[in-house]
Amino acid sequence: MIAFLRLAVFGFIAMTVMYLLLSIYSRSVERERLEKEWDGEHDGGESPARDAYIEAGMRDYEKSLRRKLIWLVYVIPTLGVLLLIYLTNY
Amino acid sequence: MKYAKWTVLTLIALIVFGFFHYTLPQHDIVRVVNTYQERQDLNDWTRIFWAKPDDQSTGLINRDVQFIQTVKANNKPMVYRNEDTGWSWPPYFKFDTANLQTEAEDAKSTAAAPEWVSVTHYGWRIEYFSAFPNAISIKRVEGPDVTIIPWFNIFFFVFLGFVLLMLRRMWLQFRERSIDPVLADVEEAWDSVDQRADEAAERARGVWGRFRAWLGTWKGKPRR
Repeated sequence: MIAFLRLAVFGFIAMTVMYLLLSIYSRSVERERLEKEWDGEHDGGESPARDAYIEAGMRDYEKSLRRKLIWLVYVIPTLGVLLLIYLTNY
Repeated sequence: MKYAKWTVLTLIALIVFGFFHYTLPQHDIVRVVNTYQERQDLNDWTRIFWAKPDDQSTGLINRDVQFIQTVKANNKPMVYRNEDTGWSWPPYFKFDTANLQTEAEDAKSTAAAPEWVSVTHYGWRIEYFSAFPNAISIKRVEGPDVTIIPWFNIFFFVFLGFVLLMLRRMWLQFRERSIDPVLADVEEAWDSVDQRADEAAERARGVWGRFRAWLGTWKGKPRR
């Protein structure tokens, strides 16, 4: 039981670290894409319109499917453990 | 210095290779000849070669371990231990030791009428330390020459490569978006410090120059 709790706790910590890293990365990639999209269509450097465009894009991103797919970081290892238990013992 | 670097790198590569070689599953084609159970002392450093199947066993200094005796196609013997890994390392989640021992018992055969099985296992047989690989599963196979494709290991290394690639991309993205702009700022700040230093030197020269000029006023005018 202790061993199971240890696996659960450390597994949860590892998955959370991975989840945070992935969401930061994904957000950063999305922001860069939005910046490049704006810069490709408009001249000039930073402006309030550009900031507004990027913020609106980021708000859309927070509701997007890709944002939600990061939750798979928790789902896949758990399914993997269940699959391993099944394959090893049955 | 060059040798030190290569020694360290070789050592790291060996440790990583050894870790995966010990932990990942491998398959042996063998014929089971017997099974037995023997009390094992677990009170020295060779404890690391035995599983920690449940919480009680960590406090014990000896306990019974089940073994499976086999012979390979080349007539070399191979003995496996049969222990639960439970929820501990390595993560095989093996709980069916008793079932596996029964299957091994059922698969016994003689040299005259061999029945070949593939034993999935991890670990090393080190005679000197009495270390045994841990058998994970037993499957009957056609004969001693069948090819077994290590699907799990293929999948594992592809997945590991993917994770390492992802981590690298994350790091590059982080550097591009978060570190490089800061470095650029620092460089800019440094340039402006440099420039200010130049200006200050200019000003100082101006003061010194003015002082020299003032001293010069005390000199007598060249006599006519």
